[in-house]
Amino acid sequence: MQKLMKYELRKTLFSKLILLAVTAVAEAAFLAGVFLKWDNGLGAGISVLMFCAMIGIFYIGIESLLVFHRDLNTKQSYMLFLTPKSSWQILGAKVMENGISIFITGLFFAALAAIDVSAAVLYIGGLQEFLDTVRRVTSMFRFEISVSSGDILIVFFSMLSSWLMAITTGYLAIVLAATVLAGKRFSGLVSFVLYLLIMFAESELISHLPDLGSLLANSGAVIAAGFVLTGLMYGLSCWIMERKLSV
Amino acid sequence: MLECKEITKRYGRKTAVDQVSFAIEPGRIYAMLGPNGSGKTTLMKMAVGLVKPDAGNFFYNGIPVDKNSRREVAYMSTEPYFYSWMTVKDVGRYYADFFEDFSEKRYQELLERMELTPDMKTKALSSGMMAKLKIAVTMARSAKVYLLDEPLNGIDLLARDEIIASMTEAAAPDVALVISSHLVDELEKIADTAIFIKQGHLAGIWKVKELRETQGKSVTDQYREIYGHGGENYAKADEI
Repeated sequence: MQKLMKYELRKTLFSKLILLAVTAVAEAAFLAGVFLKWDNGLGAGISVLMFCAMIGIFYIGIESLLVFHRDLNTKQSYMLFLTPKSSWQILGAKVMENGISIFITGLFFAALAAIDVSAAVLYIGGLQEFLDTVRRVTSMFRFEISVSSGDILIVFFSMLSSWLMAITTGYLAIVLAATVLAGKRFSGLVSFVLYLLIMFAESELISHLPDLGSLLANSGAVIAAGFVLTGLMYGLSCWIMERKLSV
Repeated sequence: MLECKEITKRYGRKTAVDQVSFAIEPGRIYAMLGPNGSGKTTLMKMAVGLVKPDAGNFFYNGIPVDKNSRREVAYMSTEPYFYSWMTVKDVGRYYADFFEDFSEKRYQELLERMELTPDMKTKALSSGMMAKLKIAVTMARSAKVYLLDEPLNGIDLLARDEIIASMTEAAAPDVALVISSHLVDELEKIADTAIFIKQGHLAGIWKVKELRETQGKSVTDQYREIYGHGGENYAKADEI
């Protein structure tokens, strides 16, 4: 599985390097704005960094679907399906690599934001002001951390489970187009409509989960449902691939 | 060793392979012959699980082919299939990562023989060089069955000798080679058994030596008889 994941990473390395390069330029503009008091650089840096964080994470997911589509519909599919690996391992490696990539990208931008904010506070505010700010922020942070760390985790896992559900539903749509709909007219369009319908059904299912009495319990149920549906979409895709997929 | 039983594959309304059954035995070199569209490639792809049959199946040592049989059955596609970012060296690394029977030393030897260098980019290779790379990486495995689809396509006369030599070097008492080609003359020199596929059906299997001794015919003669005028009776194996 690790070897499959290594090659999945290699397939998307170029776009990730571009994202990193654009982020580096934006970071340089931001730091120049902070240290040289260059307002335009600061503004542009913040805008592009926020853009990179949001679009980068979104694009990594979309690219995973594009790569999977190419892996099933071109002769490059032989590189995967000639190996002594099952569809469960091949698709599993894709889901794992993509999930880890998203997680690391999110972590990277969060760490970068923390560093940038610290640098800005330290340099722009002056030492005394900075120490006051730190004191103030620390006291707030201690209070907030006990309350918001749970919220942060809930938001993080909610996003992760719903994102994985959307991606694995996309995998299922691609598998359907390459198997049961293969050779049929408008198979791409039909699979896209199926994708929208399945996504709608999934969101309806989640929105109709019973009220468990507390925000934490309800959020936990939504996250769990997201992961269960992710597993279901993954399992169904692999099951169809094992029986029907011809490349 | 490798056997197909009543295997059928349809693409829409077209039946590419229709109820074909035969067995591949170890220690033999098979020539799989037939014109374009006769079903040779589909048969080979079903043998490694790239294409799923609609009926029947391929069996390796009595077990339906799956990911485990791919450990011992090597397939070389007629189309290029390497990732575009790969160099010749990357292709070897990839095979080494996934196939325990892959020999990097043997790969190096074959690359030198084929006049390929590790730093060459696969997307920049000519069709002839790509064909050499495919054969080098496939024959660097110590497989039990080699399925080689049109390995001589796009290869010049001199390089053809190198490819034929690298294929026949893999021959062993416990190894079977199945080679498909339009170049009947070339295959006749190395094959001991000829499988004829016609319009998705098995038109017949003949041992080359027996064909010569009992019927006084070469494989080329037999090919002409099956696929030329008057060969209609070979459309279905059960009519033979």
